[in-house]
Amino acid sequence: MSEQKNVLEIRDVAVHFGGNGGLFGKSGAVVKAVNGVTLDIVRGETVALVGESGCGKSTLSNTIVGLQQPVAGSVKIGGEEVVGADRKKLNDIRRKVQMIFQDPALSLDPRSTIGATIGEPLIVRGVAKGKALKERVGALLAQVGLRPEHADRYPHQFSGGQRQRVVIARALALEPDLVICDEPVSALDVSVRAQILNLLVALQKRTGVSYLFVSHDLGVVRHICDRVVVMYLGRFVEIADRDTFFANPKHPYTKALMSAVPEADPEVQRSKERLILGGELPSPANIPSGCAFHTRCPLATEICGRERPELTVRDDGARVACHHA
Amino acid sequence: MEVSPSPLLTVDSLTIDIAGAHVVDDVSFTVAPGRVMALVGESGCGKSLTSYAMLGLLPPAAKRTGGRIMLENTDLACLTERQFRKARGKDISIIFQEPSASLDPLSTVGTQIAEAFRAHHGGSKAEAFEKARQMLVDVGIPDPNRRLHQYPFELSGGMCQRIMISIALICGPRVLVADEPTTALDVTIQAQILDLMKKLVAERGTAIVLITHDMGVVADIADDVAVMYAGRMAEIAPVHALFREPKHPYTALLLASVPKLDHAPKADLATIEGMVPTPSEFGVGCRFHDRCPLSTDKCRSEAPPLFDCGDGHRSACWHIDRMAEIRAVAA
Repeated sequence: MSEQKNVLEIRDVAVHFGGNGGLFGKSGAVVKAVNGVTLDIVRGETVALVGESGCGKSTLSNTIVGLQQPVAGSVKIGGEEVVGADRKKLNDIRRKVQMIFQDPALSLDPRSTIGATIGEPLIVRGVAKGKALKERVGALLAQVGLRPEHADRYPHQFSGGQRQRVVIARALALEPDLVICDEPVSALDVSVRAQILNLLVALQKRTGVSYLFVSHDLGVVRHICDRVVVMYLGRFVEIADRDTFFANPKHPYTKALMSAVPEADPEVQRSKERLILGGELPSPANIPSGCAFHTRCPLATEICGRERPELTVRDDGARVACHHA
Repeated sequence: MEVSPSPLLTVDSLTIDIAGAHVVDDVSFTVAPGRVMALVGESGCGKSLTSYAMLGLLPPAAKRTGGRIMLENTDLACLTERQFRKARGKDISIIFQEPSASLDPLSTVGTQIAEAFRAHHGGSKAEAFEKARQMLVDVGIPDPNRRLHQYPFELSGGMCQRIMISIALICGPRVLVADEPTTALDVTIQAQILDLMKKLVAERGTAIVLITHDMGVVADIADDVAVMYAGRMAEIAPVHALFREPKHPYTALLLASVPKLDHAPKADLATIEGMVPTPSEFGVGCRFHDRCPLSTDKCRSEAPPLFDCGDGHRSACWHIDRMAEIRAVAA
């Protein structure tokens, strides 16, 4: 049965903010950050979530780990429902899912040694203590390419790349099924990025962990991901396997993103087809009618402003929400 | 072969010290009108200090201890603060990474653009506002009459960067320093801003010094590239030559560490072992030697000069003839 293989199952999740109350008791506009999305991630798979600021990708990440309550839909991790779970249940579920953020300096407590930081989840969960804890922390450090004796150092004694290794070691401490990586290499220098990407791939091969990889860097996405999901204003507009996605992108927004990400090769970059979008991302508090992308879309016609396109399956298996693609 | 016009900006043997260490060490390059020179390197390589020196914006701890920064016949490095106030905005301008942090949240954008114009040209407020309005049209802001009277918080990040560019260019400077101008922006907005910069260079003949760590941005917009490492110039070349045939091991490894179209998914990417040395760790030799696969005793004991490889391509490496080995490592 496919149920057991799915590490993550999201069904029709919607997350809205505001609308009633508000800071001074006024009723404000409802911000529809996530607006009905459905996604499965299987064991050992890496799914990229691509989109620009304000598209709802961080809200979705927070919802998956139970930091944000959806107004509708269901989120299951390893078959267990996150939405509406009580505190105790949520605590059990959360050990199966961890997060890695963009800036490792902000994710680590400057006053704790990294040994204490990595060991904390193990103590909280009662997994290990004393000598066993020390050994486990040492093994985790070795796994991410640091040395066990680094456990006594503080975050400021490490470089950015090493700190991200510490964050990864902490995320892996409880052997989660799913790690949400929110732009994990964007804040790092180029030469260090490759090291962290290699590490993430190697750890996946060894442990079978799944990743939800939030990024806007399509070069990195192409390198590390098995499947790609493109999000625009709270909805998925295209979902496809990596090779299909990069060989034959279909949604005009996907094409615009690909055209906008500069390729690190002047010959390729200067000869590629340009599709520069006009305008800016509309506010999620005021999402355009019909297809949310129609205000910036080069293919838009009258139907696009009227009817919202649903995700439909195409010949090559890609799912695309567009009237014209 | 394209012949570059004579240089507008010449940075000649620039050296900047912090606490006795040469954090920028003997850096030289030139930029011609209408050209984009990209200064590339990782954090701490000295690319920002080099550009701040051009505008007299060095932090108090940093001192220029040698070299010149010639804007045609003026040595910018010798200007007093008073003279710099006259030059900034009029001869040379800068835009920064985070546009919303660079704008005054308490004045309208029209006031801020007009202020920059009046600081150099005087004239009436009405005249300055008219100039500001034209500038907004030039940088592609729709509905400029309304935008002029808005505050920065009412504008998006991309729009704020267009305002910054307006302020920087309103007095027609010949050189624009752009310090990571698109790093904080979304990719579709980044593409718009890069296109705008290309258009301005072409129309006005402004020389741009672009500071970035993004090889994609370099590939898109730069004419020439200077790669810096630990305060020194590692390699300098026309953009196509640099990407096609890098002649410094650091550049080659840096380029190889970026995932490419033809790279097998999830296969190991080339990495550079170790870390950039801190200024206190700078030795007498090549500053890249302890991370370099080609390193020999000579690299440890003697700093390589910038060798001329022809066609404007220069590299500071003792082993340029062994670059094929690096390409094997990187592949």
